[in-house]
Amino acid sequence: MRTTRTFTLLAAAAVLGVLLASPATAVDHNNIDAGRPLSFDDAEAIAFRERALEFGVSLSAPRGGAAGLGLKAEYLVGFALNSHLSVDVDASLGGRAGSDATGADLDEVGVGVFHNFNREYGGTPAFAVRGDVLFPVGGAGGTEYRLRGIASKAARQYDRWHLNLDAVFAPGAGDEEREFRPGAVLGYSTPLGYPTRFDRTGLAEVALQTSEEKGEGPVVSLGLGLRQQVTVRSVLDVGLRSDLAGGERDDIRLIAGYATAF
Amino acid sequence: MNAILPGVTAVLAAGFGLGFGLARPAAAAPQTASPRAGHGQAKKRAAAAARVLPPVPAKLPGWMDNKNKNHIFYKRGRYNYDIYNIKPLAYDLNAVAVGHAMAYEDLVTGKAATLDTKTYARIDRVLKNPPRLMPDEAAISPTFGRRFGVLEQVFDWTHVLHAQTVDVLASNRLSAEEKDAEIERLWRYYFDSVPYAITPLPMNMAFLDGQPYSGAFRAKYPKVNGLFWGYHWLQGVMYDALYNKTLGQQKAVYAVLGKRYHETELRRTDRPFMPMFAEVSPTFSARFPHIANAFDNLHMLHDMVNDILASEWMTERQKDEQVKRAIWLVSAEAHRGEKPGASKGAGGAHDHRFMAGMPGMGMMKGSTPELMYMEGMGWMSMADCHHCSMPLPDGKDAWKASTVTADGWTMRVRCALCARDMSSETQGDAILTVATEDPRRPLVLLSDEQGNLKTDMTGAVFLEAEASHAGCSEWSQAFTSRAAFDAFVKANPEYKSARALTLAQWSERHGKKPDTYFKPKGPVENPYADGKREAKSE
Repeated sequence: MRTTRTFTLLAAAAVLGVLLASPATAVDHNNIDAGRPLSFDDAEAIAFRERALEFGVSLSAPRGGAAGLGLKAEYLVGFALNSHLSVDVDASLGGRAGSDATGADLDEVGVGVFHNFNREYGGTPAFAVRGDVLFPVGGAGGTEYRLRGIASKAARQYDRWHLNLDAVFAPGAGDEEREFRPGAVLGYSTPLGYPTRFDRTGLAEVALQTSEEKGEGPVVSLGLGLRQQVTVRSVLDVGLRSDLAGGERDDIRLIAGYATAF
Repeated sequence: MNAILPGVTAVLAAGFGLGFGLARPAAAAPQTASPRAGHGQAKKRAAAAARVLPPVPAKLPGWMDNKNKNHIFYKRGRYNYDIYNIKPLAYDLNAVAVGHAMAYEDLVTGKAATLDTKTYARIDRVLKNPPRLMPDEAAISPTFGRRFGVLEQVFDWTHVLHAQTVDVLASNRLSAEEKDAEIERLWRYYFDSVPYAITPLPMNMAFLDGQPYSGAFRAKYPKVNGLFWGYHWLQGVMYDALYNKTLGQQKAVYAVLGKRYHETELRRTDRPFMPMFAEVSPTFSARFPHIANAFDNLHMLHDMVNDILASEWMTERQKDEQVKRAIWLVSAEAHRGEKPGASKGAGGAHDHRFMAGMPGMGMMKGSTPELMYMEGMGWMSMADCHHCSMPLPDGKDAWKASTVTADGWTMRVRCALCARDMSSETQGDAILTVATEDPRRPLVLLSDEQGNLKTDMTGAVFLEAEASHAGCSEWSQAFTSRAAFDAFVKANPEYKSARALTLAQWSERHGKKPDTYFKPKGPVENPYADGKREAKSE
């Protein structure tokens, strides 16, 4: 009951946030944050003194389970040059991969810090690192710690590769669960419509994540996405991901989101 | 903190190296692509030796070699993006960002040979179909950004100042006084937030444009250079177009200026020099000289970089070094402790004298402190009325000057009559901004090609009791209303027999040739004559 109310409040806050932020919204379609809409980050932090709100909704069809809805809200603040902090909340309703639960649950609250070490110059990629602490709030599981190394580099002239290497530590994992889960995502971004339009970026990724459950094989997934600048300060995104292999997987996941800076 | 970053970067580079095929030296690719590159480099070295390049100063500050992104958010304010109140101007400015970035990207990716053809055509298409949202220049010129990252920081941050000051002026949520105060706060935010702010001091433009590479870009790519200078014209003229005007007036004024921009200013290839801020927005330049100077210095940095990149006789390394030197020359840090009006060696990098009567404009080629040469206008004093040669009001009374915008320039004049008669002597549309009794409510008059005047201030009336122009700012005035006129006459009984002229009555008049007028004579006929190309425009 309590989680249902929380879920409803989170959804309402997300919608309200979108409505309130729309008229005064400078995130940029070129700057890519994990979840918006795919799972990789580019190596650029948001601007110093920038604040951003990001909202996402996902509709997923877990293999062998009921369809489910995911909701994510994230607040980012550029607290120093080339660095930002983030706080995010994730919730689920209905079926989800790797769980039998189907109710409305507030899954976790995450707190993260992102730092970009350098811009891309010459042949040297831009490098960044982000660290997140994920606190479970739905009752299941323990606190997890994620460290992500990020490199972004030009592929040809306008398109870029983004390599994310993850290390997730779950010291409170159960007997059947892994305490350390490495992962990797190779992302790709390219402007769409150039040289006549300059407001759209296409994304693709291939990801390899270790399953939480011991004995389960790694989850391999593919994703395609689009980021569209809709106002001077806001971006809409849509994405489609599919897990091709692995036990805890979604056959298909549709993602839509909105990000605004202020 | 930053000291450890190169080490961290190196470790990460090693970690990610496999995936990205790293360790290619930054400047290696374009230089070694051709088997004849070695020979070409030798020829360039020989050519460079023939023209001695000024050295890059030793011990430059660390920020000049920074490898960070350093993206800073703009100052928050309720006025942000209010430029979209005047959509045609907002869209034109969006297209300017694309045009600059496309040209820079092509210059550093082996497409320089077709800059005035293919690149020009691509830019032109965008100028005619401007983006509705401001594009990210860095995404359009990624190769340029990877090579000239610090330059990109300087450009971007100063462009933010450009954008925000214009947003303030276009806002209908701020009073005129609030706008002036916020523009000063924006300047402080710009200047205090980064080490790479551009100097607000007037710079000697003849010096900056007198480098061994100067003029290369305009000679080689006249059409694209024309576009660049057209952008600079727009980025200058818009300030007086918006300053102290209502939103309705701003829209009406930009309808005239936008037409001029697209039809003429963007296509001009006959300018001897880039448009200076005070030549097109003298009122704003007099009110905010530090900002006008910073924008002129920014635009000059653009020109210097263009010329460096267009100088094939330089090696790539020399180009990189000269770009760095150009940044340093116009940086605030290079001139710390120096004052406007002062000069450590006239005609050099630390010559901060300005034109008499115009603190927002550095010394121009061939100019004396009193006189400057302006294409199409000849020699002139910026301290005097361009119609009657009498001194213009200055200091706290500077608002009492009126302006005439026509034929691509904006001139300050001393009285309403001078504005009207000067306008009537020009061809094409004109914009007259005539001072009234209210410093914040000038009378805006639009003149069509036939000289018909119209205004949205329907109650405006005029005093015109023509006498010697020694006193024209008294006997020729505009008032926002009949009541204001009557109040003036009551306080100045010598005008008790004067009629309050309506716009229709006043616009039918034409004064005598000012008895005080004289044509200034400069030290030479035309200081730009040596580098002047055949006049033409498309």
